[in-house]
Amino acid sequence: MSELGNIFNIGLLQNTLRTATPVILAGLGVLMTDHVGIMNIGMDGMMLCGAFFAVLGSCFLGSWMGGLALALLMGLLLGAFFGLFVVKFKSDEFIIGVAFNIFAGGLTIFLLRSIFGVAGAFSGNAEMPIFGLPKLSLPWLDTIPVLGPLLNNNTLLVYVSWVLVLLCWLLIYKTPLGFWLRAAGEHPESLRSAGISPDKMKYIASLLCGLFGGLAGAHLSLGYLTMFTENMSASRGFIAVACVIFGGSNPPKVFLAALLFGLIDALGLRLQSTGVSSNLTSMAPYVVTVIMMVVVVQRGAARKRKQAQLSTASGN
Amino acid sequence: MKAELKALAAIKPKKRMNGEYLLSLVISILAALLVGAGIMLISGHNPIAGYQAMLNGALGNTRAIGDTLAKSATLCLTGLAMAVAAKAGIFNVGGEGQLYLGAIAAALVGGYVTGLPMVLGIALSMLAAMVAGGLYALLPAWLKVKLKVNEVITTIMLNSAAIYFCSFLANGPLKTAEKGIATGTVKIDANYVFPRLIKLSSLTSSIFIAAGVAFVIWYLMKRTTGGYEMKLTGENDRFARYTGIKTDNLALIAMVISGAICGLVGMFEVFGLHKRFLDTVSSEFYFDGMLVAMIMRYDPIGIVLMSLFFGILKIGSMGMEKVGIPSETILIVQSIIIFFMAAESGIMRGIKDRRMRKRAQKAILAVEKEAAQ
Repeated sequence: MSELGNIFNIGLLQNTLRTATPVILAGLGVLMTDHVGIMNIGMDGMMLCGAFFAVLGSCFLGSWMGGLALALLMGLLLGAFFGLFVVKFKSDEFIIGVAFNIFAGGLTIFLLRSIFGVAGAFSGNAEMPIFGLPKLSLPWLDTIPVLGPLLNNNTLLVYVSWVLVLLCWLLIYKTPLGFWLRAAGEHPESLRSAGISPDKMKYIASLLCGLFGGLAGAHLSLGYLTMFTENMSASRGFIAVACVIFGGSNPPKVFLAALLFGLIDALGLRLQSTGVSSNLTSMAPYVVTVIMMVVVVQRGAARKRKQAQLSTASGN
Repeated sequence: MKAELKALAAIKPKKRMNGEYLLSLVISILAALLVGAGIMLISGHNPIAGYQAMLNGALGNTRAIGDTLAKSATLCLTGLAMAVAAKAGIFNVGGEGQLYLGAIAAALVGGYVTGLPMVLGIALSMLAAMVAGGLYALLPAWLKVKLKVNEVITTIMLNSAAIYFCSFLANGPLKTAEKGIATGTVKIDANYVFPRLIKLSSLTSSIFIAAGVAFVIWYLMKRTTGGYEMKLTGENDRFARYTGIKTDNLALIAMVISGAICGLVGMFEVFGLHKRFLDTVSSEFYFDGMLVAMIMRYDPIGIVLMSLFFGILKIGSMGMEKVGIPSETILIVQSIIIFFMAAESGIMRGIKDRRMRKRAQKAILAVEKEAAQ
């Protein structure tokens, strides 16, 4: 019983929030491109670059704001780059995505070695400390049991990600721009005949995607651990893509899917403390992602079948 | 009338020639190498010395040449594995996991089924590797074909799952009892080990099997009806289905072949170099092979040739380390080649469209002139 208590406690929920946040942010980026009809599997590379440039900015500009700014700038650049290839040159988005990931892996390790002179990981040193994201704490929140310690003392981007989920939902479903974005993916011809360029919408989505990738990366490297390690994105970008598929590209649903992923990841971490092999627990998020993909697709198919039945029934 | 036909003929696109593609490939590679030189310059190294060190590291002596050939064989097989599946319309990003499972399955057979004649032992281990890799590839393929679950995501997820699972086995239940070995399974029967062809290099006799596998895959893709049906399926699966091809079965088979090849690559690593399964058996070998396959548009002969070039780049990058240039420079160069080649079709299409429009305009003018006369 005490073992269970060790696993299921407030720390678990705190860990869930921590691990889910980069996935939430990355998921918001991926769903933007998903709405315009581009599946961006290069998100993992975007995150990795964001994580590195956040550390770089934080070290050289001497503040977390510098880190965040550089990560966002890099994200914007990568987003533009992605848009250029996929929209302008009409390249295969999968190939570009794969190339993005390999490019990001090479670039970040190369820069890590040539700028900081270390291999593997960089966690700051005496001359160049890394400034992490600030943590927000409200003393009065702590008086509320469970919710207080959970909602308090998180880094800035955790709260920002919640706001962004809401903003993205508003943008996509309640504004003309969001309508055009969705139309660019679903009915590009009608959008064009309405006088709006679908390509422009795709560019906007790519840029937004890059920005979110930069943010997600910044949270990875400046959030709870202030360090950069090689390939620290650890396929989170792909998990974000899976979350977007579960959530049907709807921001709040994607948010919930990412939280679920965070919970599984956090559970794995907790299980390690009870002696389960870390290799086995590390498998969990990936296996669960596959299972969830199957469940979601099955459910979608069942719904379609039902609709088809209904329409034939009414037709008779 | 004749003039109008001429105008129409002018609009009709000319058949795309392979020479044109090769030209853009050469230009892309040169441009990427130039970018690499730029990176070296910016980071304070002499690019000429850098590339010299690269060539020297890859081809400077027999040992280096052996390493390069061994690397090229790995790239070629993983590239072909990618190509077989891609031609049938499935994007297998999960080769890394299939490679790991093949490696550990073969290592277990080689480690526990000892005392057999060499040929039988190796054949059995190869079979184990191919079955393990093939079955692991069958899972995402089946999900894709039967349930329409996106295979890109599932194969990537299954990569991480397989790698962690194999690490768990090699560090846990199947860890060798041998003293002084921190991680890894039991050593395989010394009799089964592929002998090295060049002293100290990683070139082993497995390269002959690799060449055989490559030949079979080329034959399969280019010379059999199955290969042609796969090609049709990959290009337009609806059309293929109407012509009576069982596209679903074909996709499943292609994916199993792809996974089996990856499993074999893992087995070659174990039986040639490590003599046991280690959780460092591959460092993203499959992704390098994927790059090769994508650059060559899944053409088997092209993959063989390009893997030689990529082998030189990869092994040569270690030589660049000796003059202080990070080997990741080459990783950047490789991905830039991909970027250029992926953009190539779009750029070429743009140029061709413009040319076509000009030709058509000229033809229309000619028609109008004739009508005026």
